[in-house]
Amino acid sequence: MAGVIGPGLGVEELSLLEKSLGLKKGNKYSSQGERKTPVLQANDGPSLTGLTSIAIHLVKQAKKEQLLGNTAEEKAIVQQWLEYRVTQVDKLSTKEDIRTILKDLNSYLEDKVYITGNNFTLADILLYYGLHHIIADLTVQEKEKYLNVSRWFNHIQHYPDIRQHLSSIVFIKNRLYNTH
Amino acid sequence: MGFGDLKSPAGLQLLNSFLADKSYIEGYVPSQADVAVFEAVGSSPPPELYHALRWYNHIKSYDKQKASLPGVKKALGKYGPADVEDSTGTGGDSKDDDDIDLFGSDEDEESEEAKKLREERLAQYESKKAKKPALVAKSSILLDVKPWDDETDMAKLEECVRSIQADGLVWGSSKLVPVGYGIKKLQIQCVVEDDKVGTDMLEEKITAFEDYVQSMDVAAFNKI
Repeated sequence: MAGVIGPGLGVEELSLLEKSLGLKKGNKYSSQGERKTPVLQANDGPSLTGLTSIAIHLVKQAKKEQLLGNTAEEKAIVQQWLEYRVTQVDKLSTKEDIRTILKDLNSYLEDKVYITGNNFTLADILLYYGLHHIIADLTVQEKEKYLNVSRWFNHIQHYPDIRQHLSSIVFIKNRLYNTH
Repeated sequence: MGFGDLKSPAGLQLLNSFLADKSYIEGYVPSQADVAVFEAVGSSPPPELYHALRWYNHIKSYDKQKASLPGVKKALGKYGPADVEDSTGTGGDSKDDDDIDLFGSDEDEESEEAKKLREERLAQYESKKAKKPALVAKSSILLDVKPWDDETDMAKLEECVRSIQADGLVWGSSKLVPVGYGIKKLQIQCVVEDDKVGTDMLEEKITAFEDYVQSMDVAAFNKI
């Protein structure tokens, strides 16, 4: 499907990330194993395996270390959510799984603008890419149910250079009734 | 536009529901709009208004960059939901407009000559109008007559409606329009002379058949 990245398409996601970081194309990727784990083929030195390791490497290459968190605490949160992305979001299979994840995220994001709170980080980018195909399939009612996720997602997709060719997902607040 | 009094619980409530699906007051980046509202709010919103609180804390984190945030500060009433009337008294675009009398004339007093001319023209117009044959003003009305349930005999209902006779009232074509659940409403056309028959009188007479008619609406009213 055009404009959507499916789960496990790490390589495509990494080229999106490269572009959003303002890096020139030049890195070569391949995928490995059944789960198509992305591998970064380095010209010198050993190759890098795994989505998060490569993503962190790219951020450093782009000299945008602030995307990994400014304080020690923020850095830890970014790490934790990158791990969450790979171990939880990418392993979603049933509708029930998706509901659980969205519910968790929804309550987590209730008091936050970004994943780490007040700063935009790599965790936002990778969660956005990872959730895109899931959010795209939600119904209007579900989007409204997971209001905090929707707000965050809508915010990130409007962040410059992040969405690129991915489809823009429409969020509407149901105006048929008033919440206040 | 506007949130009303942001120091009041009602104003904060408005802000809270406004921010439920938004990260910032305007667009997708922090701007002077946020600063303006932030300053108006003044202190931390209560925890139960978590959308407002989240936004408040987030804007607080920009404290040092406040001045460098993009955008130009506008009056407080310019922000927020569009369906709320501005009560801050600062965004007074509409109030300004009220002061300008677009149709007012510059001179307060008509000059004598102009007055004469105007009277002359008025007289001319009056006489012209008098010569015209008096046209009977007529209207074509489309009525929706709703029965009580699907068991109401619609043929009888129509008969009842058509039995209403009045000077200046002519019944036209009718049809049954399905409403749902097997219920049909009667849509009937009639032509009335405005001076003789009014919709009030029609409604009164039609709803008088209370065994058949639940309610009656005027679906369309056109002057002929």
